Amino acid sequence: MIMKRSFVSVVDDDESVRESLPDLLRVLGFSVRAFSSAEEFLGSDCIGYTSCLILDVAMPGMSGPDLQRELARRRQEIPVVFITAHSKETVRHSLPAQGAAKCLFKPFSDTALLDALHEALRRN
Amino acid sequence: MESELKCVIDALPALVWTARPDGHIDFLNHRWCEYTGVPVEDSYGHAWQSAIHPDDLPVILEQWGFAIASGQPREAEARLRRFDGEYRWFLFRTCPITDASGQVVRWCGMNWDVEDRKRAEFLLASITVERAQGAAALERSEARKAAILDSALDCILTIDHEGCITEFNPAAERVFGYRRDQVLGRHLSEVIIPPSLRDQHRRGFARYLATAEARVLGKRIEMPAMRADGSEFPVELAITRIPLDGPPSFTGYLRDITERKHSEEELRRSAAYLAEAQRLSLTGSFGWIVSTDKHFWSAETFRIFEYDPSTEVTIQLVLDRAHEQDVHLVRQAMALAAEGWDFDYECRFVMPSGSVKHLHIVTHCTRDQAGELEYVGAVQDITERRRSEEALGKARSELARVARVSSLGALTASIAHEVNQPLTGIITNASTCLRMLSSDPPNVEGACETVRRTIRDGHRASDVIGRLRAMFTSKEMTIEPVDLNEATREVIALSRSELHRNRVTLKTEFADDVPYVTGDRIQLQQVILNLLLNASDAMLSVDSRPRQVVIGTQRDADDCVRLMVRDSGVGLEPQGVDKVFEAFYTTKSGGMGIGLSVSRSIIERHRGRLWAAANDGPGATFAFSIPCEHERRTGDCNVDAVRTSSATNAPQVMRNL
Repeated sequence: MIMKRSFVSVVDDDESVRESLPDLLRVLGFSVRAFSSAEEFLGSDCIGYTSCLILDVAMPGMSGPDLQRELARRRQEIPVVFITAHSKETVRHSLPAQGAAKCLFKPFSDTALLDALHEALRRN
Repeated sequence: MESELKCVIDALPALVWTARPDGHIDFLNHRWCEYTGVPVEDSYGHAWQSAIHPDDLPVILEQWGFAIASGQPREAEARLRRFDGEYRWFLFRTCPITDASGQVVRWCGMNWDVEDRKRAEFLLASITVERAQGAAALERSEARKAAILDSALDCILTIDHEGCITEFNPAAERVFGYRRDQVLGRHLSEVIIPPSLRDQHRRGFARYLATAEARVLGKRIEMPAMRADGSEFPVELAITRIPLDGPPSFTGYLRDITERKHSEEELRRSAAYLAEAQRLSLTGSFGWIVSTDKHFWSAETFRIFEYDPSTEVTIQLVLDRAHEQDVHLVRQAMALAAEGWDFDYECRFVMPSGSVKHLHIVTHCTRDQAGELEYVGAVQDITERRRSEEALGKARSELARVARVSSLGALTASIAHEVNQPLTGIITNASTCLRMLSSDPPNVEGACETVRRTIRDGHRASDVIGRLRAMFTSKEMTIEPVDLNEATREVIALSRSELHRNRVTLKTEFADDVPYVTGDRIQLQQVILNLLLNASDAMLSVDSRPRQVVIGTQRDADDCVRLMVRDSGVGLEPQGVDKVFEAFYTTKSGGMGIGLSVSRSIIERHRGRLWAAANDGPGATFAFSIPCEHERRTGDCNVDAVRTSSATNAPQVMRNL
């Protein structure tokens, strides 16, 4: 169930993702803002009203899982959908064992993205 | 007067008789008749002869004949039969009675009983003979003894019941350093027994004399003995009692066994070393005397074949252990052996536990003094070595394979990652475009933007390949002079087992006059390895002709060095000649098609070129040609430019891997 115009933050160091994903999300009915790094997101004012985070797993500096842990530490947990260009094998150890945060493998379809977002928002 | 005379004649203590000149007996006295028991009438004439012992009669008659013929007195001895049949020796004497003219008118004779005398004579004679014989025997015996003692190699001593030396042969003189006369009569223990053992000797001797209990008689004993100079040495000794009546005396036979002890020690030591060496090197020895079919195995041989050392050795023991696939080798070797051939072979044996051993067997045939065939051989357990070699071979090819695979694997991951990024963009943008165009009203401007991005991402994807290629070879090159022949030999050494496994024979044609090239030795070797393994792979499906690879170097035009690899494999399609160098092009199932494109870029970075051509016959030839050293130095190439500039995302990619 989508609350009216849920706000999604996209954190990915890849430029093409930051370009293409927000447009798709808007067309799908979300408000979106894109960040090039976890630090940028943390330094922003969007933490409070982000309903869902689309996080790249492997990023220079703070990784996606690191950001998730940091938010948990700050007691500002936000539902996460992980995305990655790596293979399942490579990211297996990076992803947190608990927390059923879904991980989408690039390239993913728009429907897969939508389903993952709905699931994350539903749990919240 | 006549009767008086007759009385006298009858009383004489002798047998009296007379005879006519012709020998006819005409008178015999009373004693004669009394003795012989023959009436006188029966003795007249020649009848008396019957009383003479037949053996002695010829002598009597002969002497009688001489007498009658010569008219001279004669005598003889003969046995005369007594009335009870007993013969007794008598002395017969006869004298002639002559007339005035010297003519014999009568013979008279007397016979005396000389039996007792005769017996005594005989006895004396026999005693004399015996004594002479005895003396001769003794002399012979003495002579023999002397000969034995003198020539004996061993020392022979005799001692009496007091323990004093009574004999000391020349050998003893030599060995102990005494003269015979120096030791005779001296106590044995003082002379040859070392001081430390003297008491023991005296006690033993005394005990024997007292109790007849002999601990040392008749046995071979080893003990120390002492020379005249006081030095001690080992001897072997046997003592016997001399078998005569009376107080005991003893003979001792001694042998100086110093040499023997040394030899024994040497032998013991060398046998121990040999056994140890055999054990350490897992080599057993064996011998076989063909004519008697006698075998002997060393301890290690029993251990190798895993039989109990008490087992009787036969050929069957070996045959029983032979691996069923190799038993024919063993039989062949045995057959050759029987004909006198040396042989050397390796073969597998199966132990009772089921484990397989590789054994290397070498034998050499000799003939003994009688000309009989005899074998000496060695068997070595080379299982460990074989296993190590096999393991090493496997590890090497595994390594080569893994190296190829892992570098490909790494490559794959990085390609996937790099390509997935723009792909995501493309798909996302395309999805957006679709939704934008199908919304009411269609968002054409937005759709155009997504399309623009899609095209851009498509370009990015192709850039990835270029970057990755650069990244793969972006290790800093170490520039140095490289001997291509030597570099190739190293690569061949690395891939030998792989080639061997694929039953590929390799022929090398290295030119001697090939100069050094300048470049990165490792990268050049990567190219050579790539070409070599490709050549081997190209022949995997070939069975109808030998799998041969020829690798060679030569001077090329323009002061370049060319290396070529020729195979007899599946060959190249005409259009494949260039296509093979394209990235991702492969004819191998499971191949990534990276090797040749990477190799080409390496060669190009060495200012050379890499190309392929189909052979006249089956297979293909791949070759590269790069400039020689001196060309490089004088060239305008900036060596630093060879180092790759890191592409935008390369560091990120490296980090994220």
